[in-house]
Amino acid sequence: MKSIAITIFILLVVVILGLLFFSYQVRETESALLMRFGKPIRQITAPGWYFKWPEPIEDVEKFDSRMRILEADVTETPTKGATPIIVNTYVVWKIAEPLQFFNALGTVMEAESKLRSQISNTQNEVIGRYEFSEFVNSNKSKIKFDQIQAEMLGDLQQAVREDYGIEIKTLGIKRLKVSEDVSEAVFKRMRAERNRKTEGIISEGKAAAITIRGDADSIETQLLAAADARAAAIKGRGDAEAAKYYKMLEADPELAMYLRDLEALKKILAKRSTIVFSADMEPFRLLKEIPHIKLKDPNESK
Amino acid sequence: MGVELDPGFKALSRAMRLAFVVLTIIMVVLVVFFLISGFETVKSDEKALVLRFGKIHGVGEDRILEPRPWPYWVFPEPIEEIIKIPVGKKIDLDIDSFWYFQTKEDTLPESLRSKSRPGPKLNPIRDGYCITRGEKQSQDITGSGSDYSIVHSKWRLTYQIYNPESFFRNVYVEDIKPGQVYFNVITESIAPLLKSLVESSVVTAMVNYTIDEAISSKYTIPEHVKKLLQEKLDKIDSGITAESVQLVRSTWPRQVDSAFQRSIQASNQKKQLITEAETYAEGTLNEAAGPVAKRLMTALEDETVGAEQREEFLWSQLAGAAQQKIAQARAYRTKVVETARANADYLQQLLPEYRKRPEIVIQEIYRGAMEYILNNADEKIIIQPTEGTKGREIRIQLNRDPTIKQKSVKD
Repeated sequence: MKSIAITIFILLVVVILGLLFFSYQVRETESALLMRFGKPIRQITAPGWYFKWPEPIEDVEKFDSRMRILEADVTETPTKGATPIIVNTYVVWKIAEPLQFFNALGTVMEAESKLRSQISNTQNEVIGRYEFSEFVNSNKSKIKFDQIQAEMLGDLQQAVREDYGIEIKTLGIKRLKVSEDVSEAVFKRMRAERNRKTEGIISEGKAAAITIRGDADSIETQLLAAADARAAAIKGRGDAEAAKYYKMLEADPELAMYLRDLEALKKILAKRSTIVFSADMEPFRLLKEIPHIKLKDPNESK
Repeated sequence: MGVELDPGFKALSRAMRLAFVVLTIIMVVLVVFFLISGFETVKSDEKALVLRFGKIHGVGEDRILEPRPWPYWVFPEPIEEIIKIPVGKKIDLDIDSFWYFQTKEDTLPESLRSKSRPGPKLNPIRDGYCITRGEKQSQDITGSGSDYSIVHSKWRLTYQIYNPESFFRNVYVEDIKPGQVYFNVITESIAPLLKSLVESSVVTAMVNYTIDEAISSKYTIPEHVKKLLQEKLDKIDSGITAESVQLVRSTWPRQVDSAFQRSIQASNQKKQLITEAETYAEGTLNEAAGPVAKRLMTALEDETVGAEQREEFLWSQLAGAAQQKIAQARAYRTKVVETARANADYLQQLLPEYRKRPEIVIQEIYRGAMEYILNNADEKIIIQPTEGTKGREIRIQLNRDPTIKQKSVKD
């Protein structure tokens, strides 16, 4: 019983030690090189569990296969039209072929320094093929910013994949600037443009105000005219209705005219009037003399 | 057997037995610890992957361990390894690299800053900014074939890891050293990558907009940047999603501040001019026809079916000068009609009597009228005509007494 336990124990130790010396793991985030006597004999890019001879015969060199970011130095680069621009490019890269990487570069540090100079070259070359107006333009369709970046990526990918075992996943320009002197000129233009706009804004305001006022005046005129027309129509209807009654006056036109004239006189002389009469007129005649009134025969009237 | 064991061997045997027991206990304890160390909890804002011999274990959806209240059990290292990725967290990242250089003093509140700072030139290395495109109509002064402006901006990215597998496999995260918080290590490790991607997206997007758009945009440009950024994130299969991109601040360079301030003033002035004009318009229309003025005008111009009804309704709601005109017309109408009717009625009633005694009726009415007229006259002058003096001239000094005038005006 005891001896079985001891045997199992020893076996376990042996197995564990064996695995430790005779195998290795490559993680999902890694790639590896199997080295025999210091020389790479196999590259492993798939994760898993692998066997090897124990050291010092075989050894394993591991590389992180995840993406890294590298920012190149900020540089002033001339464009095709010789206008210099200041750009800063970054690349996202990873170790794709550990064997080539190990042979050509060895360490990440070395890789970054090589990449930097390579980016610098590519940048100068590609940017030199484009006018500054293709980076930024008031006409959107002339902007070739994407194309420039794509071209840089293509050139760079070609340059490093074969030689260094590096894969450039993406690339981008993260700064686009102009030199100090140029920026002064830009400011001058911005000021001029802004001043021109300022004037435009004020005259726009004035024009809008005039339009609004004019519209209001025009509507007012039209509305009042419409109201006048309507009022005239109402008055007309009134006159027409009144005319119906004039027919009734036809029963005795002379009397009607007489009454109408009297009414007119009353109205005309109602205010601020001074009237001069002859004493011969009725009833002022009474002021001159006593009238001769004959006694009327009461039977006569009957 | 009967072999007497000597005391030394006995002691050794006892020691061996004891050692064995101790070893067994240690082994059992170790095994127990080994097994217990395999329990791992996946918290609610995490998802996890299991690496078996370095390779992601499982197929399809089983590859991802979803959060649950009770723990998972995995074989302890080196057989299996659990990788937890904080997928539930929304993480903010501020990007100030497009802002001008600020000293510590510059970041203080306005009141604590010393006034009248010199306006230094824009240093392309030290100061951050973006280039925006020029307006289409504007003249090109520099002759460089393009017309552009400089604008400062601050951005904020909110991102989230959505695909733990892609993230783990592709995105570089530093190894965790003792004492470091796993989550912080992740965010710090990916910050440079995200920052560069955002910056590149901003630079690429901004050349498509004018400075005015860059300053006023709260939606269009951030959305554009977000779209570009997401394309980049997907292209490198990062497993990260850009939840939102915010343009926190954007401004013109201080070197051109005065021109822009004037422009803002002009905008305000424009608004004021328009407001004044609108006030005038409203007042005018109100005076002319009241609140319905505009609608009435539209109805008047409208010649479609049903417009007339609307127009009638609006006329009934009328106010102001137009209303006065209509009211006066109505009053006139009423008066004219009523007067005509009254006259007609009067005649009708008078006729029977008049036909019987025309002379007396005429005279009676005449006298009544004279009485009324003379009663109302301010002055009455009666002249005695003399017989046989034809062509005699009479001069009358009419009363110019102001009190009489006043009195009559009052009436």
